[in-house]
Amino acid sequence: MSERPLRILLSILGLDQHEAGAFAVARLLRDAGMEVVYLGRFGTPERIVDAALEEGVDVIGLSCHSWEYLYYLDELFELLAARGLDLPVVVGGSVLSGDDKREIEAKGVAATFGPGAGAEEIVTRIRDLTATRGAA
Amino acid sequence: MNRRTSQSGIPLEPFYTAAHVGGEAADTGEVPGEYPFTRGRLASPRRREAWIHQELSGEGSARRSNEQFRQLIARGARGIDVIGDAPTMSALDPDHPLARHAVGNTGVSLCRLQDFAELYADLPLDELTVSHSLPPGAYAIAALHRVAAQRGFAPSVLRGSTILLPAYCEDCSYQIHMPYELRMRLALDSIEFAAREMPRFHAFLEDTYYISDGGLDAVEEMALGFVEIREIVRRLVARGIDVDSFAPRIAILVNCRMDFFEEIAKIRATRRIFARMMREEFAARDPRSWSCAITAHTSGLSLTLAQPVNNVARGALQGLALALAGVQAVEISCFDEAYRTPSHDAHMVSLRTQQIVQLEAGADRVADPLGGSYYVESLTDEMESRILAMVEKIESMGDLGELCDGGWFRELFQNAMTRRARAIEEKSEIQVGVNAFAVADEEDTLLRAASESKLEPCRERIDEIRLFKDQRDRGRVGEHFARLREAAAAPDNLLPAIGDALEADLTQGEISGALRLGVGAPYDPLGMMEPPL
Repeated sequence: MSERPLRILLSILGLDQHEAGAFAVARLLRDAGMEVVYLGRFGTPERIVDAALEEGVDVIGLSCHSWEYLYYLDELFELLAARGLDLPVVVGGSVLSGDDKREIEAKGVAATFGPGAGAEEIVTRIRDLTATRGAA
Repeated sequence: MNRRTSQSGIPLEPFYTAAHVGGEAADTGEVPGEYPFTRGRLASPRRREAWIHQELSGEGSARRSNEQFRQLIARGARGIDVIGDAPTMSALDPDHPLARHAVGNTGVSLCRLQDFAELYADLPLDELTVSHSLPPGAYAIAALHRVAAQRGFAPSVLRGSTILLPAYCEDCSYQIHMPYELRMRLALDSIEFAAREMPRFHAFLEDTYYISDGGLDAVEEMALGFVEIREIVRRLVARGIDVDSFAPRIAILVNCRMDFFEEIAKIRATRRIFARMMREEFAARDPRSWSCAITAHTSGLSLTLAQPVNNVARGALQGLALALAGVQAVEISCFDEAYRTPSHDAHMVSLRTQQIVQLEAGADRVADPLGGSYYVESLTDEMESRILAMVEKIESMGDLGELCDGGWFRELFQNAMTRRARAIEEKSEIQVGVNAFAVADEEDTLLRAASESKLEPCRERIDEIRLFKDQRDRGRVGEHFARLREAAAAPDNLLPAIGDALEADLTQGEISGALRLGVGAPYDPLGMMEPPL
């Protein structure tokens, strides 16, 4: 693992205005020593990819409380590929059911966190993801 | 829940006696229907009608939502409460680029007068309570006023409410990207307009539900609510408006979480605080100005995606708490709330729960059945003093607009959200099925399929609105757009200009943009759309 702290971008896509989960996750990642680039609400794939490049983040995190993420994910992956960015995308949120998790993991989402996910689980999964990528 | 404190942190005794409420002389002589209304707004069982049973509804087009309303009314609902989709709640039109995956799948898509006409089609507007969970409120009031006129209803018969949200919406769930002074003005203009034109309508609905359901506790919820109410009342009085002309129609929409007794005490304390404030501080003389109507939604945050059938039990307990507290209208959040805006089946369970609480359990046969309970009275007093202390603290920090713009409340909301997430993780707050008695996902099947059905975005609605905009009378649109811009910079009440603009086929997104331009803000806050001309 590199010396510098992990940098995680956090955003909420489209017009989903529920920010509670994103705030809570931002706080717990910072508490775990990571750096959070908080992009907040009204995110678009383009804004997210631009910010990911500019800020040199290690992981893209999306928080969702509506189903808009389902439709934006394809666009996000296409854009990441077009810009040559190989970054893990993780999705967490109150509306992630078991079926939704399986569906988006099949699309290429590296990790999913439902409403019951705890701080330790989230931090560990993100560390593991970046560690295996770094080694690859 | 922590066993030694209430959800908001009030320390609890093992049991309560007269000593906790002032000893033998504790009976304050308070009775329901009399100042300070702690024990309820009305005393007489004849006048004290059952609370209004309603359920939050709306999905897809206005027509589809109208069908939903009619089904609910046919099954015993006595009011409707309209929820907009994400674009509608953000004051953006369906053709906004950021709306493309969000049209009609979390509520009804509304942006023009015709949509409101279809929404209310064939509904008995002289009998029905029509509540609107649609920010910023002014649009729904203007639209309802115009549609009622088209259908031959006098505005004086209209009943219902709208949410106003001037202080906190930008920081919590309902960002409409308007500066504080414009939001406040829309609220004041709405109340002033309705007091004159629609005297039975609750234009002054203080919504504390949405601010609290991010994680604020019951004390913070009501403190923020009272800070906002007090600022609005002061501003209306400063306009030279008689407090008794609008105060009888002030209502508060509160949240109801899972702490059964604390939520009841909160509502009792709220009525007492309101009565004393209106009579003693704002010098209202009409006794109707002293007793606020309370309407309530049960907490969506208390409901879980896991084991959705547990949400039915939660809704029943919360509904019972509200019946015992004595409120004027109730919505029980549905078992599928954690996943979606309610389906028809979920609506039915919530509506039937209300009917069972009222008609089978008889929870409202007697006004304030818990009055005189040492515990409830003590908790009511404690809630009252904690709420008042927080109101005083916030008001001592300075001007409300500056506090809002300076991010003080945003930080309060953020801290509350984090605090709540920690409480669940550390199990100081228990959610059965989440941090206690959880089961593996594949075993959790009861009601899961019914709770997790999705709604597709209504992309055809985007094309419909694009076509509508292309086919309008451009000259007329331009004229009203310019008029609204000017009105935003002038002192007159904005409601007539908004109503005229809706009749001239301007949309809510365009009206919001014109108002923003009029006060020097950008037309499209997200920088993706140009003004219509």
